[in-house]
Amino acid sequence: MGKDRVEPGRGRRSAVVKPPAKKRSNNAFYILLAVVAIAGVGTITYLTTRTGDARNASPIDPTLPPVQSQGYVIGSATAPIEVTEFADFECPACERFTSITEPDVRARLVNTGTIRMRFIDYPLPMHRNTWNASRSAACADAQGKFWEMHDLIYANQDKWNGEATGNPDKVLKEIARQVPGMDQGKFAACVDSKEMQAKIQAHYNIAQQRQIGVTPTFYIGNTKFEGAMPFDEFKKQVEIAVAAAPKHAPATGGDTSLKSSAKSGAPAAGSTKK
Amino acid sequence: MSKRMAIAVLALLGAFIGLYLTLYKLGVIGTLACSTIGNCETVQLSRWSTLLGLPVATWGVGYWVSVLAIAIAGLQERWVDSPALGFALLLLTGWGLLFSAWLTYVELFVIHAICIWCVTSAVLATVVFVLAFLDWRETRPTRA
Repeated sequence: MGKDRVEPGRGRRSAVVKPPAKKRSNNAFYILLAVVAIAGVGTITYLTTRTGDARNASPIDPTLPPVQSQGYVIGSATAPIEVTEFADFECPACERFTSITEPDVRARLVNTGTIRMRFIDYPLPMHRNTWNASRSAACADAQGKFWEMHDLIYANQDKWNGEATGNPDKVLKEIARQVPGMDQGKFAACVDSKEMQAKIQAHYNIAQQRQIGVTPTFYIGNTKFEGAMPFDEFKKQVEIAVAAAPKHAPATGGDTSLKSSAKSGAPAAGSTKK
Repeated sequence: MSKRMAIAVLALLGAFIGLYLTLYKLGVIGTLACSTIGNCETVQLSRWSTLLGLPVATWGVGYWVSVLAIAIAGLQERWVDSPALGFALLLLTGWGLLFSAWLTYVELFVIHAICIWCVTSAVLATVVFVLAFLDWRETRPTRA
């Protein structure tokens, strides 16, 4: 093929060059391309802003049986409603909720006594190190430091996740040093012994039983919401649930099986750190 | 519409799918719009969804944008009959097809979950390869 090439620099052979008569305008094509581009941008914008809307919401089945473990609770025992979060420590959307939305939730809803939050681990099978993270959070909880550890685990998700390290316990122990007042020796022994495995398994079972299909999932009042949502949407749903909650009743979510014997790591009202 | 035009339009669609999945991977989107078919999040959160430090979807965006750029270049008068450009498009889309086939294999037999967006991207890769092949047959030198 090379022997009769006349314009080697352009890879074009004289025999192939066609007369310039074929000079058609590509304008119609560019217009089509622009239409596709606009449609694409529009669709992505719609899909990215759609999270937390009513289509991800569904009522909670009130007949579900009681559970053995109560998760971790933050906020006032007398708050009018409880919000339950089912989350996986290694899931990116959960991390996003914790780092972007949760500071506002703590400051403006939990600390003001509007809601109490309950966290239930749902360590998903495709995440290699998420059980390690859940166990270390439970070990911090044994010293009353769950929420501090919870926040640090999410903030450092990039350091201990299944793609970042094959030895997550070591990284998690380093992260735990940032928790003020934690007995590091006790914490390390707890992590090494895996003594919290059964507790995490119980939390996992709660989520399975409720057929949680997405992390994070929130129970707000009598409604289940799938996916992380922005603070404004979260607050709106809380307000709807508060308006529907019976006055003076002890705070519950719609799921009475998770009702508040908030013994596991529940700090008193106003003791949140953010 | 010429084959290269069709390739450009399909590549743009592919780039948007990649962009959507990249945004999810970066955490901009809380949940994926995934129909009842398959399990997008299982696929997107698996360890197979990252390659050489970048999300696979981001590589996909790079691939589709490259295909788009070459296809549009191939519509310019200077390149419209270029066999080299046709061959470049064939090589690139051939590579895209192989990579898509590998990803689909991983979804089906390793992760055991199908992501409808990934499948759509793989179908686009197949169609684009067929178009690039036909285009290459037209532009390649006929006399050897």
